[in-house]
Amino acid sequence: MRKYKALVAAMAVSLSLGTVSAALAADAYPSKDITVIIPKNPGGGTDITGRGVINMMQQDIGKVKFVPVNKPDGNGIVGMADVAHAKPDGYTLGMVTVELDIFPHQGKTNLSYKDYESIIAPIAAPAALIVHADAPYNDLNSFVKYLKDNPGKVMMGNSGVGAIWHIATLAFEKKFDVKVKHIPYPKGTADIAAAIAGKHIDGCLADPSSFKSQIEAGKLKILAVMADTRTKMFPDVPTFKELGFDIAIRAWATLVAPKGTPKEVLDVLRASAKKVSNTPEFVDYFLKQGIDPTSIVGEDANKMMEVDDAMYAEFLAKIAKEGK
Amino acid sequence: MEVVLDAFTQICTLQNLFFLVIGTAVGIFIGAMPGLSVNMGLALLFPVTFSVGGISGIVMLLGLYCGAIYGGSITAILLRTPGTPASAATTMDGYPMAIHNKQPGRALAVSTTASTFGGVFSTVCLILFAPLLASVALQFSKPEYFALAIFGISMITSVSPGSILKGVMGCVVGLWIATIGLDAMSGMERFTFGTLYLSGGVSFMPILIGMFALTQVFINVEDNYGKEQGRNEIRIDSVLPSFADLKLTLPTLVRSSMIGTFIGCVPGTGGDISSWICYNQAKTWAKDKSQFGKGDPRGIAASESGNNSIVGGAFIPVLTLGIPGDGATAIILGALMVHGIQPGPLLFVNNALDVYMIFIALMFANLVMGAMGFSLIKVFARVTNVPIKFLLPIIVVMAIIGTYSYNNSVPDVFVMLAAGFVGYFMHKFDMGVPGVIIGIILGSLAEQNFTGSLLMSDGSLSIFVTNPICCVFLVLAFVSLLSPMYKPALKALFK
Repeated sequence: MRKYKALVAAMAVSLSLGTVSAALAADAYPSKDITVIIPKNPGGGTDITGRGVINMMQQDIGKVKFVPVNKPDGNGIVGMADVAHAKPDGYTLGMVTVELDIFPHQGKTNLSYKDYESIIAPIAAPAALIVHADAPYNDLNSFVKYLKDNPGKVMMGNSGVGAIWHIATLAFEKKFDVKVKHIPYPKGTADIAAAIAGKHIDGCLADPSSFKSQIEAGKLKILAVMADTRTKMFPDVPTFKELGFDIAIRAWATLVAPKGTPKEVLDVLRASAKKVSNTPEFVDYFLKQGIDPTSIVGEDANKMMEVDDAMYAEFLAKIAKEGK
Repeated sequence: MEVVLDAFTQICTLQNLFFLVIGTAVGIFIGAMPGLSVNMGLALLFPVTFSVGGISGIVMLLGLYCGAIYGGSITAILLRTPGTPASAATTMDGYPMAIHNKQPGRALAVSTTASTFGGVFSTVCLILFAPLLASVALQFSKPEYFALAIFGISMITSVSPGSILKGVMGCVVGLWIATIGLDAMSGMERFTFGTLYLSGGVSFMPILIGMFALTQVFINVEDNYGKEQGRNEIRIDSVLPSFADLKLTLPTLVRSSMIGTFIGCVPGTGGDISSWICYNQAKTWAKDKSQFGKGDPRGIAASESGNNSIVGGAFIPVLTLGIPGDGATAIILGALMVHGIQPGPLLFVNNALDVYMIFIALMFANLVMGAMGFSLIKVFARVTNVPIKFLLPIIVVMAIIGTYSYNNSVPDVFVMLAAGFVGYFMHKFDMGVPGVIIGIILGSLAEQNFTGSLLMSDGSLSIFVTNPICCVFLVLAFVSLLSPMYKPALKALFK
């Protein structure tokens, strides 16, 4: 019987502690724990990025805890909707991903970047053109020439039809007027890396982080990245822009607050995000995990989401029209 | 050799062992709780690896990974509630042995032995054959994955309790559930009825919890309704398996560990698939099949060595190629990279010390897991002494909380409850839950790789026969699928 009593006592104590911490909520922001909804599974890129940033912000702000909650239902839409509909008081934040700019134009959700206020986008991984090291082409131009000589023969991996790396490949086809075979790997880029390393497919346009060790070992090679500036992880690789092709596709994840969050609250969060993202620990944390860190804070991140949204709106409408 | 000794001394510190024990204990707990997943545990402990310097953090994650796969078997055996998908096959013989035969200690001893054996065996394979197995794993393309999935599905003939036709019906339901949601191969939504929840597909965990845990609660309620419950007094004399059990299960242990190591090293397949295939193989090779499903130690041994042996296998592509096969190894890969260890083809050349440290740490993790398992068997087994009127409500609450916490999703809880009711009626009709589970596990693997293969071959089916690995698996699948038809004929012929 004593055991049961102890259990009841423990429960009572934990319950009362809960009410006490709720009662403390008042005064200057932040005065209680902040929930951060991550619309992806634990352990994925978005999750690691999100947890990394809020961990550092928690240390910087002190006082309160940032509590990550994973809500991967409905391909992430449920979690992103929960953030959009949360009370805009700064105590519910969330991660949103590039799908937020893609899904609305595929009729999958009514949410859009307009429902959020950005705090920081710690990651914006560009699509990198990756092929097997034994392939006969060594740069973008010779690859395009190879594609023109072998129309519809070259197999390019993607992470699912309608997902970002498929769109990147479609954009590539359009830009260079070539045709490839699209092979989906729904479980993600690690499977694509294995397929290219095993020479089952020829290449892909995807976030290069899963390919890093294969590239460094000289098994795969990276020809160019779809970004405006060179990446920190592969500084020797040219961008499509440098080579004269203005095309940029990036998989970003942004820490956001719901629209309508007071400016004072946003200022606190953005200032902290800006501060931690300029530290060497921040860069180190991401680089070590093969993630190319960026530090796009506040309005700049809003802008990035808006620009990408317009790009996908235009491009996906064009594709839909062509019946593809 | 000096490097090995150096690595050994670096791992054998009090701090490392401390964190190894912590990680393994957390792992066993997470594994035993339905709904708490390995990935969740790894993601939670991941930040701790920053504050713990050096290799200790990695050692802790390795312990957690091993412990979680083992932990799933405890609840699978005692409550028919697999704590992880990888232990679903363990319920087949584990629960009957523990409850109907009243030998929970024996069941746990066999499963702990099998888990440890599988883990150690696969680690030895990792140490000896990593580059070789990695090159075989790289041979796997879409046709091979398709054939492997079909081979897996073919085993419903041996896991169905009732007629084979009913088993096939269950499997078809499972295959159908696997098609729900956004189809990544076409970009189209299927069977979503315009709902947001279904567009992401029905998650597997709620169905698993519902069909095993909740269904078993209903069955127990039915069996015990109106009966006076006496106090169960099961005494555990020995926590070690008997010599007879060891002798009986040894061939199964070796076979299952080999299968598990291989399946582990193929990216994208894991313990859930491996344990079923090993269970099926154990039954196929057994001379006397009559005890399978009623508490045959070989059934437990097959499933548990089959799922724990994927650990060593799963590290093969991670360490040699830098390519993780699943979410859990992806997190561990991230942790290794944070600590300045970049797995991949260069690791073995440049950082032999790191490689040996990981090998030794993994070996210790498996041994610590076994030691903790054996020492806790008496504690675990006392669950069977809890009167059923207390136990059942606890299981229901655990099932609901576990399901919710898996994805923080309320619809998941409804799916779990529905699956519980459906599972109960399937039990009544002798349809067998394993068919559904196998259908769900392998449905998308089969379908996505079938369409993917045809995309690669421009629609030509010849891609499945021109390819040796694929061909062998498909032939094996047909042999196994048709066995109920030709086996009686063969038996008559040789009599």
